[in-house]
Amino acid sequence: MGRKKRDTKPQRFTGRMQKKLTVLFLIILAAFGVLTVRLYAINRDNGEEYKKQVLSQQEYDSKVLPAKRGEIVDCNGTKIAVSQKVYNVVVDAKTLNSNDGQYLEPVLNALYDTDIEFSYTREDLRSYIISNPTSQYRIIAKKQKYDLISPLMEKLNDKAGNPNLKGVWLENTYQRTYPYGSLACDVIGFVQGDNEGAYGLEEFYNETLNGTPGREYGYLNDDENLERTIKQPDNGKTLVTSIDVNIQSIVEKHILAFNKEHENEFREGNGSKNTGVIIMNPHTGEVMAMASYPVYDLNDPRNTDGMNIVVDEDYATQGIINVDVGEEETGEAEDGEEEASGEEESTEEKEDTEENGDETDAPAGKTTTAPAGVGDHGADGDGEDAEEEKEKDRPKTYEEAYEDAKMEALNALWKNFCITTTYEPGSTYKPFTMAAGLEEGILTGNESYNCTGVKEVGDHQIHCNNRFGHGMLTFSGALEQSCNVAFMDIGAKIGKKIFMKYNKLYNFGLKTNIDLTGEAMTNTLVFDVDKMVPTDLAISSFGQGFNVTMIQMAAGFCSLINGGYYYQPHVVTRVINDEGATVKTIEPRVLKQTVSEETSAKIKELCNNVVSEGTGKSARPAGYRIGGKTGTAEKYPREKKNYVVSFIGFAPADDPQIVIYTVIDEPNVPSQASARYATLLTRDILTEVLPYMHVFMTEELSEEERAELSEAALTFARSSDKTVSENEIDEESTGEEGTGNEGAQGADDSVITFEEQEITEQEPEEGKREFATDPETGYLIDPTDGALLDPDTGRPVDPSVSDLE
Amino acid sequence: MSDVRGRRKKNKEKTFFDYTMLFIVLFLLCFGLVMLYSVSSYEASLDFGDSAYYLKKQAQATLFGLVLMFVVMMVDYHIWRKLAIPAYLVSAALILLVLTPLGYEVNGARRWLNVGISLQPAEVAKAGMILFFAAYVCKIGRNVQTLKGVIKTLLLGVPISVLVLTITENLSTAIIIFGIIFMMVFVATPNYKEYFILGFSLFAVAAVFVLLVKKGVLTSEQSYRFGRIEAWLNPEAYASTTGFQTLQALYAIGSGEVFGKGLGQSMQKLGFIPEAQNDMVFSIICEELGLFGAGAVLLMFLILIWRCLVVANNAEDMYGALIVVGVMAHISLQVILNVAVVTNTIPNTGITLPFISYGGSAVVFLLIEIGLVFSVARRIKLRNSGE
Repeated sequence: MGRKKRDTKPQRFTGRMQKKLTVLFLIILAAFGVLTVRLYAINRDNGEEYKKQVLSQQEYDSKVLPAKRGEIVDCNGTKIAVSQKVYNVVVDAKTLNSNDGQYLEPVLNALYDTDIEFSYTREDLRSYIISNPTSQYRIIAKKQKYDLISPLMEKLNDKAGNPNLKGVWLENTYQRTYPYGSLACDVIGFVQGDNEGAYGLEEFYNETLNGTPGREYGYLNDDENLERTIKQPDNGKTLVTSIDVNIQSIVEKHILAFNKEHENEFREGNGSKNTGVIIMNPHTGEVMAMASYPVYDLNDPRNTDGMNIVVDEDYATQGIINVDVGEEETGEAEDGEEEASGEEESTEEKEDTEENGDETDAPAGKTTTAPAGVGDHGADGDGEDAEEEKEKDRPKTYEEAYEDAKMEALNALWKNFCITTTYEPGSTYKPFTMAAGLEEGILTGNESYNCTGVKEVGDHQIHCNNRFGHGMLTFSGALEQSCNVAFMDIGAKIGKKIFMKYNKLYNFGLKTNIDLTGEAMTNTLVFDVDKMVPTDLAISSFGQGFNVTMIQMAAGFCSLINGGYYYQPHVVTRVINDEGATVKTIEPRVLKQTVSEETSAKIKELCNNVVSEGTGKSARPAGYRIGGKTGTAEKYPREKKNYVVSFIGFAPADDPQIVIYTVIDEPNVPSQASARYATLLTRDILTEVLPYMHVFMTEELSEEERAELSEAALTFARSSDKTVSENEIDEESTGEEGTGNEGAQGADDSVITFEEQEITEQEPEEGKREFATDPETGYLIDPTDGALLDPDTGRPVDPSVSDLE
Repeated sequence: MSDVRGRRKKNKEKTFFDYTMLFIVLFLLCFGLVMLYSVSSYEASLDFGDSAYYLKKQAQATLFGLVLMFVVMMVDYHIWRKLAIPAYLVSAALILLVLTPLGYEVNGARRWLNVGISLQPAEVAKAGMILFFAAYVCKIGRNVQTLKGVIKTLLLGVPISVLVLTITENLSTAIIIFGIIFMMVFVATPNYKEYFILGFSLFAVAAVFVLLVKKGVLTSEQSYRFGRIEAWLNPEAYASTTGFQTLQALYAIGSGEVFGKGLGQSMQKLGFIPEAQNDMVFSIICEELGLFGAGAVLLMFLILIWRCLVVANNAEDMYGALIVVGVMAHISLQVILNVAVVTNTIPNTGITLPFISYGGSAVVFLLIEIGLVFSVARRIKLRNSGE
């Protein structure tokens, strides 16, 4: 207070001053207003021009220096995908026109003195340069290899020797190449456009592979001269995969051989709709080989030569396109997510599910009831199809229709069958069912089963593959003979809750999250335990009615035989940087324990019995003991008689080092229902893969095997007589009677049969059902539905009898 | 006795705190840091291998400034009145110190002191002059209202401006310092006419120079400043030299359109606008956030200036009011001149945008000035209370 006294009265900020301050504020406000208008005016008057300026100087003043895309190598360091440095030739017309065009002729001479193929002829380029004097960036040759470009490069670098070479420069970029062509195409994927990975590892690890481009840019230094600075690109990282190129080649070789062998055998097209093989290390979840058929050349993924692209003749009115990839159909009708190109199949499937919806709310590809009149709507199906397809109303030109068909065919070709396609696994699921029962203590392994060839579940008669019945079977025998009736008993004993608990524990219905692009979602393709009816449980106990992917089956099976550890399947094991240092190691990841060690040991033993005693005999490579399980799944719609035949196994039997899963989707043979196609393919693959992996032979070789092996050493070709069993020959001869019996079918609409046509050489045993002999044909008559049976095999003579009705 | 009264007052009155202003300042600081990171990360990673290099330094300075702001806010601003003459002398001395080995150059301009931390004396001088002239105008009382008083006051500002102009070769800061004094005096005196006459004559002189440059009488060979005027008149003609920065800034503004390319999406910051984090940061705001974003930033500054006006009008005494007027003048001059340069409305001269441009000294002293404003605001007597 004393201080203030000295200053006399405290001075006030008077009203007049307040007024002046307000005036000052208004002046400031006005200045802000002017500046805002100025900002607006710049945008309005020059916005477009400035925007172009920004873009154009981006191209010229500042260059992007491409980063090298990382490589993909196999487990031994063999390069499967590499990036090669290539060069673009760029001309700067502005410079070439400067100084009275004195640089033009020397540059043209230098350019056209080389072997490079330019996008302009010499005269066209000259006129382009003269007529575009402001152009500073024009690529005249793209992605030229070093040896082609090096003479020009030397001249350009020798500035003293060639003072007139101005206005032309080289820009380097990278070209993706795949030294092995089509090898492992499903796993690798390819690169399109500007380093954008498509499919497989290329897409999944696109970010890791790509790196960060560098930049060369200009700026003003203190003396206000334009200077250039280079920020080096950060090259992409290399992926080390668990794929072994040698194993992969063996697998692909045999897949190809199988498909060539059966090409055009029963219908026009490849030896199968698709053939997939996965080889995994059960102790790590690493994928050692993954292949399907047909394959494509990674260096030329859009090549459609040899592909049969069929454009529907009615494209203009209906817009329906039929696509062939050198085979009948490309889409997987079983797969709910696929847009199936076989319209008939998909539509009928839809109708089936719709009609069944009331009862079971069944997922696609699974239905357990047999609504009346399948035959009827099979007959008028075409008309309905046409109606649905008419929704695409704009008429297509032929070119459009062809392009669409081509893209559809290519997409089908590029997708990875092993992870994208879903199907019903069939009997290869049986070990999973058994393991669930053993693990829960519901099964002891001492059970025995009596198979009479048919079991009544709910209102339905569900047949075994052998309609005579297998008779009395031990626990092991049930798996060895792949007896559906025994498994329906097992399923009923386990109950749907535990069955589905394990189904989920084995990761079915969930993604495996393998590090590849395009894995199918199967969450809607497995049963919902609350909506499951007894017939659902019955058929799913032997692997029908729900859908899986190959990788799900392989990964789940690994856990069954490795002591119960479910490893996340993966392909990449390490990521290394440009300098070769490891930046990331992907360790095997145990996600869960599916079953105990004891159960796992038991399942291994049972699977060994399947190969030594049962249906899997033909899968055993000479000199080795292996374990496994066959599968013959009937596809939807059941009356089409299409099958997915498969074998899932491990080798060697006592100390599994690999798990192999072979799936053949619709083998191109008269009668598809034989797992022998899969077991023999497996055997051929293992015969080569096991010695390659230095697995010692443990079994004596018979004379025959010895001869076979030495023959195989020369040619891997398989003699065809081994693949067609007598059963199929029978089937072939009777298959043509096919449609004559429809009246009989319509009468009984509650019969379901799932074929499980494996080698069933055993004779019918005591205690079986009585079968009357049909006096006219000599076939036996099934008392449940009156179907005629082949006395040798127990299978219906008329294939359509077993149809789901 | 004053203590007793003070305490009693405190009990009766609510102390005023300008939350609007605090919010605006904090918003501008945070926004400034985000933009600074966006603008500088590319060059920082090139030059220092650390994209957050500028961001980290600026964030440190900002935190330090906020602490000082709080301290200044809590202190009764009247004690600064005693320190008016030392403030003037210290400002001058610091500028002179640039000539000693303590001074150092950045980008060819010797404007910095290394006294443990890096310090720009010109920023000290701005705050110093606000304190000195607020006290001086109060001291001479009614005399400031005479023409003689006005001229005397303005002349007192000349030495420090000349020091800034000659020693640090920093015309823009000299203009700002003189502008602050000019505005404070303008508010403190009742006349209008004289100031408009002065204003117009300055404008006329500038116009003559511009005309002479345009006619080619004065050229860049005589002074680089004339070169700047040439480039201002026709930036395209000097696109690769003196007009480069201006033109690139215009490209940035023009390519931003209404809503901009998106935060972080500027292409012009990739080496085209040199030192974009300093004077040219507003052009990148225009490019990334568009007219909308730029308008929002200007609006924030306008609200800040308006809050200063409110605090000054309600200040307890003239000394406090003049301090606030000085701060208000400082912020508005820098914003207006910066945006004017970026939009090529006036010739290019290095002026930073308060709170947003990179610069440790600038943000620390700006926050100290804001602290002064808060300190004045705290003593505002709310009308419906006590006395």
